[in-house]
Formats: sequence, C-alpha cells, structure tokens
Amino acid sequence: MVIVKRKELSLLERLYVPEIARGLSITFRKMFEKKITRQYPEEPLPKTEVTRGQPRLVVKDDGNIACVSCGLCEAACPAYAITIDGGETDRPIEREPKRFDIDMLRCILCGFCEEACPKDAIFMSDELELADYSREMLVYDMEKLKRPAAAMRKRIEYVHKINDRWRSAPRPPMLADQHGAHGHAPSASTAGSHASSPTAAAQKPHAG
Amino acid sequence: MANALFYLVAALSVIAAAGVVLFRNPISNVLSLLFAFFCLATIYLLAGFQFLAATQILVYAGAIMVLFLFVIMLLNLAPGPNAPELERVGLAMFLRRKSGVTIVIAAALLILGTSAVLGTHDTAVQAAEAMPKKGLDAITATPGSSEGLAGEMFGRYLLPFEAISMLLLATAVAVVVLAKRSRPENS
Amino acid sequence: MNDIAAKLGMTGDQLEGLLAILVRNTVILIGVINVAAVMTLVERKVSAWMQYRHGPNRVGPWGLLQPLADGVKFIFKEVVIPYGANKPLYLLAPAMAAVPAMMTIAVIPFANDVVLFGKNWGPLAIADIDVGILYLLAIGSMSVYGVILAGWASNSKYSLLGGLRASAQMISYELSMILAILAVVALAGSINLKEIAALQASTGNPLDWFFFKQPLACFLLLVASFAETNRHPFDFAECEPELVAGFNTEYSAMKWAIFFIGEYSAMAVMSALSVVLFWGGWSVPFMPDAPWYLGFAAFLAKVSVYLFLFVWVRWTLPRFRFDQLMRIGWKVMLPLALLNLLATGAMLALFGPPGAP
Repeated sequence: MVIVKRKELSLLERLYVPEIARGLSITFRKMFEKKITRQYPEEPLPKTEVTRGQPRLVVKDDGNIACVSCGLCEAACPAYAITIDGGETDRPIEREPKRFDIDMLRCILCGFCEEACPKDAIFMSDELELADYSREMLVYDMEKLKRPAAAMRKRIEYVHKINDRWRSAPRPPMLADQHGAHGHAPSASTAGSHASSPTAAAQKPHAG
Repeated sequence: MANALFYLVAALSVIAAAGVVLFRNPISNVLSLLFAFFCLATIYLLAGFQFLAATQILVYAGAIMVLFLFVIMLLNLAPGPNAPELERVGLAMFLRRKSGVTIVIAAALLILGTSAVLGTHDTAVQAAEAMPKKGLDAITATPGSSEGLAGEMFGRYLLPFEAISMLLLATAVAVVVLAKRSRPENS
Repeated sequence: MNDIAAKLGMTGDQLEGLLAILVRNTVILIGVINVAAVMTLVERKVSAWMQYRHGPNRVGPWGLLQPLADGVKFIFKEVVIPYGANKPLYLLAPAMAAVPAMMTIAVIPFANDVVLFGKNWGPLAIADIDVGILYLLAIGSMSVYGVILAGWASNSKYSLLGGLRASAQMISYELSMILAILAVVALAGSINLKEIAALQASTGNPLDWFFFKQPLACFLLLVASFAETNRHPFDFAECEPELVAGFNTEYSAMKWAIFFIGEYSAMAVMSALSVVLFWGGWSVPFMPDAPWYLGFAAFLAKVSVYLFLFVWVRWTLPRFRFDQLMRIGWKVMLPLALLNLLATGAMLALFGPPGAP
C-alpha cells in the first residue's frame, strides 16, 4: 500500500489569493510572447522525403508509367481505394493499366501500395491538401495521379535507400526507360532492359 | 391607464394563482406562483411602493421559489401510487377527523383576520387617500420608504400582520400533515 | 419639430423628450447586445494570446467580423429539441436566462447628465430609479430560473445536474454579494446608483472612490460576480469534463447562443455595477467637471478592465471542486462579508458618514 503524504499548505497558500495573483501575472506576461501557431495555408508545413502524402504514379522521362497492372497494390490496399483494369500494350512491358483509379476519400495514406509495387510505379508524394466540391471529383483517375519523376526524385531515392537495407543482391535499375537522365546507370538506357541485367547490377556500388 | 393596468395585472395574478393549484405538473405550479409574485410586485409598483416590489421579487421570486424548484426537481414528484391518497385529503377529511380543535382554531383565525381587516379598513382607506398621487406617476416619484413601511406594518397594521403570520404557521402545519399522509407505509 | 408635435397632439418638449428616451434606450440596449457579441471575440482572442496562439484572424481584419460570422451561423443552424423535453419550458428557458441581464442594464448610470444641442437630457441611464440596487439584485436573481429550467426541461441528466448546481451556487453567492453591496450602501446612505456614483465623482479625487474605503467588499463582490455569472473558476453549471456542457448540453443554434448573450450581458452588468459601486462610475480622475462624454468614456474604460479581468481569470485558474465552492461561499465569503458590514456599521456609528468632517 502506498501512502501519499500531502504537503501541508502554508497559510499564504491556503488564502488562495497570492497564488491566484501569481498565476494571473504569468498568464498576463505570456500574452505578449511570440505566438507558435503556424498560419497554415500561408505558411505551409516543411516537406521532406519522409513526408508520406497521397500516392502518385511516376511518369518516366519517356512519358510512360511503369505500371504493368499486376494488381499487387490493389490487393495490398487496406482501404480498397485502388481500382485497376489492365490491358495489352505494344510497349515491351506488354501490359499496362487502362484504368487506374484511387478513391482519395478512402485512401488512408498508409503507403502499402508503394511497398507492394514491384515495378517502382507508385510512390507517396508530398502532396497533402485534399479538398474539392464533390465526392466524384475526389476519385482520382490516371491522368490526375501522374507526376513527373523529377518531382518525386527525393522520395524515390529515399524509398530505395530504406529497402536496400534488406537487399542481398544489388538493386536492379529502376525507371529502365530513362536511365540516361537518372545519372547513375548510364549504360542501361535502352528501352526494355530487364531487371536482371548484369550491367545495371554493376552500377549499384552501394547495394549488398 | 394606471387603473386599466391594475385590473389587467390583478386578473392575471388571479389566473396565475389558480394555476398554482390547478396544474398537474409541479414545475408548472411553481412557475405559476412565480408569475403571481411578479403580478403582485407590479401591483405594489402601481401603488408606488418600489421598495416593497423589489423586496417581493428579491425574497420570494429570487430566493424562496428557487429553493422550491430545487426541492421539486430533487424529489422528482410524479403522479404515483400516492396521488389518490393526496386527493382524499381535503375538506372531507377535515370535517371527519379531529374536527373539534381544528374548527375552533380556524374559526378563531377567521374572526381575528376579519376583525383586523375591518378594524383597520377605514384608516387604510384614509391613508390611501392621503398618499399624494398614485398610479404610474408614483413609480418615478418618491416611493413608499422602507421606514414608512415598517411604521405602518408594525403600527397600524400590526394585527392583520400577526394574523397573516398565524396563517403562514397554519399552512406550514398543514403541509407537514399532508406530507406525512402521503406516505402511510412509513408510519 | 413643433409642427410634427402638434399633429401628434403633443407639445414640442414632450415629443423631444419621447424621442430622447427612444434614442437613449435603443442605444443602450443595442450597445449591451453588442458587448455580448464583442466579448465572444475578446474571449477567444485573449485566451489564444495566453496560450501562444493567434485566435480567430480569418474573418475581416484581425478577425473582427468573427462575431458576425458566428451570428449568421447560429441563425441558420437547426434547432434540435431532444426527445422527451418539455417543449414550452425548453423554448422559454434561454429567454429567461437572457432577459434578466438585459433588464438589469436599465438602472446602470453610464454617464452624468447628457448635455447635447444646448439642452440637458438627464443622466445616460434607461431608468434613474431610487431603488436601483434593489431592482438590480431582484431582477438579477431571476436569471437562475433560466438555468434551472433549461436543465430540467432538456430531459437530460447532464443538464439537470448542471441546472441544480447552478441554482445552489447562485443562491449561496447571492447572499455574500448582497452583504458586500450593503456595506457600500451603508457608506453612501443611498440605494440609488446614480447618487452613489455622483458621491464618488463630485471632487474628482480618485481616493474618493469607494474601493479605497471598501477594498474587501470590492473583492467579495468580484468573487461573487464570478459565481453569479457562472464563470470560471466557479462554472459548475457547465463544467465540461463532468457534465459535457451542463445546462446547455441539449441546446443548439440560436437557443444556445442566447444563453451566451445572457452570460456576457450579465458579465457586463456585474462589471458596470462594480464600477459604479467601487470605482466612481463615470468619474474621471482629477477632472471633477469633465463633460459627459469624457465621463462616459471613463466608464466604458473601467468596465472594459473588469470584463478583461473576467476573461483573464477564466483562462488562468482551474475550476474549484463543488464542495470547495460551497465551503468558500458559506465559510469564507459570508463571514467576511458580515464582518465587513459590521465594521462599516461600527465606523459609521463612531465617526459619522464619510465626507462629514
């Protein structure tokens, strides 16, 4: 059993009034101190590559997205926000989504789709604001979801860095169609190069 | 104007007083009584007694009725199994049991009250006529001062005043009787 | 002017007087309602500043139009009447809470005799009656009905408990408040608020203000007015953690807003009463002959300080416990007020009324 001994209050403390005056003086002084509120729309939050905003489809430099409509993100999504209809394409990847919708009202920004994607097609952007005038407008289709790779670069590199911790083999080159622009894999710039390309593997010195 | 106002307020006060005993919901009873108090205060004002009016509202409406309301809410009076018991308490019971003492006391009170009112009626009328000017003008004029009020109450109107205090006592006793009657299982 | 008066069967002076009363009363009443509106903004602003925040600053410059936006919102919101509520009383309660506060403002003398267009229009008060303080206390004690009825008629346990607490608290503190005021009344020898103010304003010396003769009574009245207006640290009627929102839990939209108009008006009245009783009313320090508009400004300034004090205390002190509230009310405030009255009476008996050399 714990016996808590309460402090005996002195007469001054039991009078309340001096203590009340002390409290009042504190609040009065605090009134003139610097405000810590962030005036949000005018002063936006700082965004880093760790910011996990809304999911976006990365547009490679050749204008295509890497998605092969495998449906892994659709399956991984805990909120059933993603809907994909796949179809044939003449591009070397052979399959591409004809329809790729994310219901932003359902999306909980968990980032599972980003983790599930085997093709580095979907990433969490730093876009946080979500407001519109109707529910229909908040179901984003492929055109609304596309973002150029340049705008997402920091996040892509961050995700790679994190995932590479568990990777025993070197990371295959991503964004295969546009390695020239990417910088660290110049020799694998031909379209349709495969993930297992030995040249690309050699270009990842820090992997493994 | 002042006269019309008086009759209007007097009629309202009678209606409110009837409401006190006729409403089934105790809260409505209390609110009727509250309204009756306000009517009385208005009548005092019309007669030029600002002090009395203010005291009436302050003491009765502001303090005593709040306590009434308080108690009624805490007791949560609802028409329950004791209600018929309450209805039988009344004139019939009054006549049936222990009537000797009560009738004597009631008669004494009646005689006392009547004689007191009759005895002071003439002087009251004279006093009323002696009052300078009544009605609405009196509200802004000098009010019946507390000193004068005390003089009247404990001087000329001492007998009616005491009779009323006896009436209040009788009411208190009656309330105790009623309250005890309503719970026979306790006895 | 005289032509119009003749058509109405009045003399010019009568018409002028009637118009003056209309203008004066309208100005005062609208002023009080606006005080309530402005106070909602002040409350939010000051509380924000004390917590390192900005407070409302989106509607209009510095958020000045926020009360307007709130008002529009309140008017267009839906009034929800809970199931099982006693409908007439439920609808009556907000009015009964707000009307007494509005009525009591009638006897507050805002300024000395108004001289405008070369004519003396009398003091700036709706009614200059002789039993001013009694009237104020009597009508002020009515506001408890609004709270009780709101609590009872809502058919909600939280509301009922809030209403009961409020009534117990208001009755307890009314006693100390009246006794504190009585000390001033004994000192001034009058219960006419205008006379009490004039007594303090006559020389222009701030030391004539009754605060310097009755500091204890002033303090007691301050504490009692916190309790009477259900403000922190005595806001048991609506204490959020226990009673959700107390007596106004079940109210919405304008019905809810009216409770707050009532609360803020009551605060304004209590502040004005304290200023008249203890801080010289319209008296401007060292200017015994100040014109009425200066006096009016001085009065408003003093009332503003008091209103700020209400807000300041609210955002500083924690709430008392209910038994502590009752203990302070009955065991501290009441004996102190009685002692103060006794001491005042003794001093008056021994040394005669103040002012007499």
